[in-house]
Amino acid sequence: MFEEASEVFDNMFKSSFPLTFIVFIPAVLILVSPLPAEAAHEFTVYRMQQYDLQGQPYGTRNAILNTEARSVEAEVLSRRCVIMRLIDFSYEKYQKALRQSAGAVVIILPKNMSTMPQDIVQQFMELEPEMLATETIVPVYFALEDDELLSIYTQTLTSSPTQGTATAAEVLLHTATANGFQMVTSGAQSKAVSDWAITSLEGRLAGVGGEDLPTIVLVAHYDAFGVAPWLSYGADSNGSGVSMLLELARLFSRLYTYKRTHAGYNLLFFVSGGGKFNYQGTKRWLEDNLDHTDSSLLQDNVAFVLCLDTLGNGDGLHLHVSKPPKEGTPQHALLRELETVVSSQYPEVKFSMVHKKINLADDTLAWEHERFGIRRLPAFTLSHLASHRLAQRSSIMDVRPTVDMRRLSRNTKVVAEALARVIYNLTEKVNSEGAPEDLQIFTEQMQVQEEQLSSVVDWLTAQPRAAQLLDKDSSVVSTLEHQLGRYLKDVKRHYVKADKRDPEFVFYDQLKQTMNAYRVKPAIFDLLLAFCIAAYLGVMYLAIQNFGVLYGVIRRVTQPKTKTH
Amino acid sequence: MTLFHFGNCFALAYFPYFITYKCSGLSEYNAFWRCVQAGATYLFVQLCKMLFLATFFPTWEGGAGVYDFVGEFMKATVDLADLLGLHLVMSRNAGKGEYKIMVAAMGWATAELVMSRCLPLWVGARGIEFDWKYIQMSFDSNISLVHYIAMASVVWMFTRYDLPKSFRLPVTVLLGLCVYKAFLMELFVHMFLLGSWTALLVKAILTGVVSLCSLFLFVTLVHSN
Repeated sequence: MFEEASEVFDNMFKSSFPLTFIVFIPAVLILVSPLPAEAAHEFTVYRMQQYDLQGQPYGTRNAILNTEARSVEAEVLSRRCVIMRLIDFSYEKYQKALRQSAGAVVIILPKNMSTMPQDIVQQFMELEPEMLATETIVPVYFALEDDELLSIYTQTLTSSPTQGTATAAEVLLHTATANGFQMVTSGAQSKAVSDWAITSLEGRLAGVGGEDLPTIVLVAHYDAFGVAPWLSYGADSNGSGVSMLLELARLFSRLYTYKRTHAGYNLLFFVSGGGKFNYQGTKRWLEDNLDHTDSSLLQDNVAFVLCLDTLGNGDGLHLHVSKPPKEGTPQHALLRELETVVSSQYPEVKFSMVHKKINLADDTLAWEHERFGIRRLPAFTLSHLASHRLAQRSSIMDVRPTVDMRRLSRNTKVVAEALARVIYNLTEKVNSEGAPEDLQIFTEQMQVQEEQLSSVVDWLTAQPRAAQLLDKDSSVVSTLEHQLGRYLKDVKRHYVKADKRDPEFVFYDQLKQTMNAYRVKPAIFDLLLAFCIAAYLGVMYLAIQNFGVLYGVIRRVTQPKTKTH
Repeated sequence: MTLFHFGNCFALAYFPYFITYKCSGLSEYNAFWRCVQAGATYLFVQLCKMLFLATFFPTWEGGAGVYDFVGEFMKATVDLADLLGLHLVMSRNAGKGEYKIMVAAMGWATAELVMSRCLPLWVGARGIEFDWKYIQMSFDSNISLVHYIAMASVVWMFTRYDLPKSFRLPVTVLLGLCVYKAFLMELFVHMFLLGSWTALLVKAILTGVVSLCSLFLFVTLVHSN
């Protein structure tokens, strides 16, 4: 047969020269054509964090993925893409995949986190920091569940052959029928982003009554943090703090517009960026104000700095200090006023002071007030969390439903009342003039507006707010600036860029990618198919060779008919 | 998937053509160039059909999923040009009936194979993604070889002067079946929501029946005188 084939080709070449061109030039053109990208399923994946902080690498170091999918139960995982669902996720399985040098890990998250059982959410939340704590060589991706992805997952589960019980024939049949999936990401390798600027915003309300007025600083960081930047919505931490800060700005700006209520305190509001990266925005702001300028509100009479962090849930209120305030200082006054307000108006709230010394040996600072503490400014952080280690502050599970608007507005009221009592020195007035003990300032027209708080939190959680995603042109920053400008004077931006030679923080790109899942079959399947085709062609050959038999039969059948004709 | 897979599909699609060419004795007649000419006629006819379709048939803008029965029927009617083309090829070749039929059908089917299946196979079967449709496509090309041989023989019979009166009706019916076979298949698939494998099987059976009928007629006609 092959001789005959070569005969045909020989004929072709000899008979005409141009034909070779007609046949072979297109063939060559086709040969060099690139492979098409037509995928069975295409979905968006979000890469795990990748950043360097103070020269220390964190998160996954890789972005490229082109391997076959396996479920974590499969025996051999090396150089495979391990797919897990959040329900089945555990640290042991994750570690197993990494230990066997898997090619990649893809974790499928449910579309709606609030449908998950609470214990699984809690467990994952606590794992997030552990996954980030060390650098991971393989790429780790998160995907949101959809029907196609689930079906890929179930097919991957079934395609890992059950060991031991199956016979060889069964395994062979299984390889022929089961589908494999080749997971491919489209993007390039991740690389460091140079010249990334973190933006912070500042605004003020000037007091009245002479020079050198004491200043109260209110601080909240606006960025969010989670295991994957594109999934970090940070509702409670720190959307709640920012919304509270904006509400306080609104309330006090109203008080400061009337002559009778214009107090003798400067109020300085600071919305800091890079809060989850060791408070980079705050650090630079302090340096700018304390070291590089001659006159700044921070340089002279600072009464205290109040940082707002994670205040949207829970019935506890904790004032975190690095040094217990002394009797007679404004700090102590605020502490006392907070206690008074809570005990007289909201007895269900458990208020306490938490004392933790600044540990300079740690890689990261615990709370934002420690940045101020290092610069010897009296500062504390108010939060509903009892410890800075709690996972709620850095989780992708921190989405909108984690903020309870009723509690957030109650906490806002508490802070606003306590601040007002300090600013207007109400406690002494109460004692001397016999005003009621539970005097409330923010009622009726001046009350805390829950809708206002809620709309700010809604807006902040409408998009991921990881520090890597918010550059100076982002809508979050400009809208925040606009909001601050409505209530405050002298709204200014501050930028932090990492030092070129010895960067304090480095961010990496390729955090959001498109992943393709191609349906593939194992090599053994191709071989099997080749055998089947060879057999089929053999049968065809015999059939065509013996076509005369069929012809003869038909002729014999039709012959009598024609005779009678 | 891989080059190997492409090789599989390619072998499945092309080898039956090769075997047919060799075993039918066409190679002994040195009919290669005649086949190429038939292929060229195929190209010309397809071009004419496309021009005609593009000029006189506006694009159907109905809703998705709605089957445009009349429009599809009219389009299938344009396939009558194939019959003319086959007749043209056969009328230009002198020789025995079987020879004429085989040359026309081989050239025609091979041209179709090269033109409409070669590129999809190359692009699709070699891609990362695995899909059964390339194997199906290869089987389909085998079916269409049988189909064109049957069609050419029916055309040959139809154009004979000494065709008996009693043959006129069945031959015309077969001609109609050959032309509207693709249309009927589409209608079946649409009405009974056939899967791709079932559709292929139905197509194979339909083609088998049509070609068996035409073989009967052919044998009767050739040996009746």
